[in-house]
Amino acid sequence: MSEPAGIIRDLGYERYAGSRRAPSKRWRVLARQQIASAWQPWWQYKTAIAIAVIVTAVFGGLMYFFTDSSMFRGFRWVSNLPMTMSDGAVPASLQWFRRAAFVVSTATAATTIAGDRESGAFALYVARSTRPVDYIVGKVAAMLVLVGSITIIGPLFLALLRLGLFDDTTVLVAHLWIVPKVLAVGALTTITYAIVPLACSALFATRAQALAVWAAYWLVACSIVALLGALTSSWFAAFDPASALDSIIDQLFGLHMVRRVRFPLDLAVGSIVVHVTVALAIISICVRRAHRRGFGDA
Amino acid sequence: MSPVIELAALTKRFGAVTALDGIDARVTGDVIGLLGPNGAGKSTLLKCLLGVLAFEGSARVLGLSSAQNGAEIRDRVGYMPEQEASVFGLDAVQLCAFVGELSGLPRAEAIQRAHVALDHVGFDDKRYQPIESYSTGQKQRVKLAQALVHSPELLFLDEPTSGLHPRARDEMLALVAELPRRCSCTVVLSTHLLPDVERVCDHAIIMHRGRVRFVGTVDELRRGGRAFAVEVRDDAERLAGALASAGATCRVGSPTKLAVELPGDATTALVFDKAHELGLQIRSLDVERETIEAAFLRMIGATA
Repeated sequence: MSEPAGIIRDLGYERYAGSRRAPSKRWRVLARQQIASAWQPWWQYKTAIAIAVIVTAVFGGLMYFFTDSSMFRGFRWVSNLPMTMSDGAVPASLQWFRRAAFVVSTATAATTIAGDRESGAFALYVARSTRPVDYIVGKVAAMLVLVGSITIIGPLFLALLRLGLFDDTTVLVAHLWIVPKVLAVGALTTITYAIVPLACSALFATRAQALAVWAAYWLVACSIVALLGALTSSWFAAFDPASALDSIIDQLFGLHMVRRVRFPLDLAVGSIVVHVTVALAIISICVRRAHRRGFGDA
Repeated sequence: MSPVIELAALTKRFGAVTALDGIDARVTGDVIGLLGPNGAGKSTLLKCLLGVLAFEGSARVLGLSSAQNGAEIRDRVGYMPEQEASVFGLDAVQLCAFVGELSGLPRAEAIQRAHVALDHVGFDDKRYQPIESYSTGQKQRVKLAQALVHSPELLFLDEPTSGLHPRARDEMLALVAELPRRCSCTVVLSTHLLPDVERVCDHAIIMHRGRVRFVGTVDELRRGGRAFAVEVRDDAERLAGALASAGATCRVGSPTKLAVELPGDATTALVFDKAHELGLQIRSLDVERETIEAAFLRMIGATA
């Protein structure tokens, strides 16, 4: 860095004359960069993976070693019959995978767009042929990969383990429904934990603000909503995405959980869809605005 | 030489505000200074040229229409923003490679060219440290490198010496002056620092209140006033009066010295003729080169 004034090193700068990636595929560059950035520090994606691995190992071990033992207190079939560990481990594990997903959401998704606004990265994007839609698709795709790898792979492994524990092929086939249900819950959890915090990050110009508001929304506001719903035993709790996901799990797996509000499946799914749709609208508006203001004073 | 930028009746309105008001210009040169006070419309013009903003009229960059080929233009143009611009957590190599890929370069090529661009701007050590830890001068160099990484044919530099101490400013200007030769690209230097333009630019565009006031070489800008320093044996006041009646602008500095700015197509013969009519003896007549500051003020002051 301490070159004398006017001294320029020439290492053979030549104009690039090769082919270029099509503009419509450049969202992949943004997605890959986002995933690589999340991988670098230990406290982002790696921590979430560690939690997911521990959850998988614990619930897999419980299923394998305590196959016919009774499930934890509070877990019963909707018919009020007690549940065995092998039957209850998969649905019980899902809320723990959600906690791992929350780590990725908070450490990455809740700050990424605000971080780009704070660092002035939009000036770099605007000056290139990166359209707002490329940016949005790239960021959303990266978050879906990061969160989905946490909320789908572990539960899917546990579901397959559960099927493997059946001795009778007929019974195994009769229980194959567990795989699409685990995938459905994983997909809904993924879009919720990937896109809602991303919208929060799009609303603010600094990472600190976005992080604070995301934490306040998810940990305080949503908890209050869930508590009010539980106290009044009403569908009001559907405003809380986590309660909506709990309700979906209960109904897909036929669970009856004590102290948990249960509301119709379509209402629960509708809550997730509304949350994600509103979040995508916020992201779209804020990113287009940031793109327009990308550089200069006009 | 074919123009790198051609503008015809370029107009941009933001509601009731006209940011660019029917601009016509054909711009050539190696290092072109884009000058104007704050709010002159420089940034709006850059956005229009890059095809980021919709506008009325016509704008062509490197022969391509800004309205229809914005993406292609942005692949062939480099832009160094004035404000801080990076991505959190990336070092200089990662940032340059990332934006190179965003410009369409294959990954391996982008990484290789990131190193070449950083070498080119004299960035050796620290290139693997996070950008947040860099000094202002280092950040400016990284911004220049990221603008160069995809080998642009035209480079827009927005206040590249902003916030730099004198030595770093000298180094940055040396880099800018060498870019056309080293990188075979045309440079448009948007700045309000007139000494920077004087030092590195061969052409200049002066904007004021959304209009272009001047397009041409820096030499044309500085002698555009056709100014002369005249020394007479005595009574400069009388000569000034006679020249003023012929349309010249005169400023008497002492009883024997005056500065004369000739009108229209008049030549220095006018000065000698008037002196002869008045019986005055001219001792010397020198071309008075304006400073670029004076030329700039004259250009924007005419309508200010």
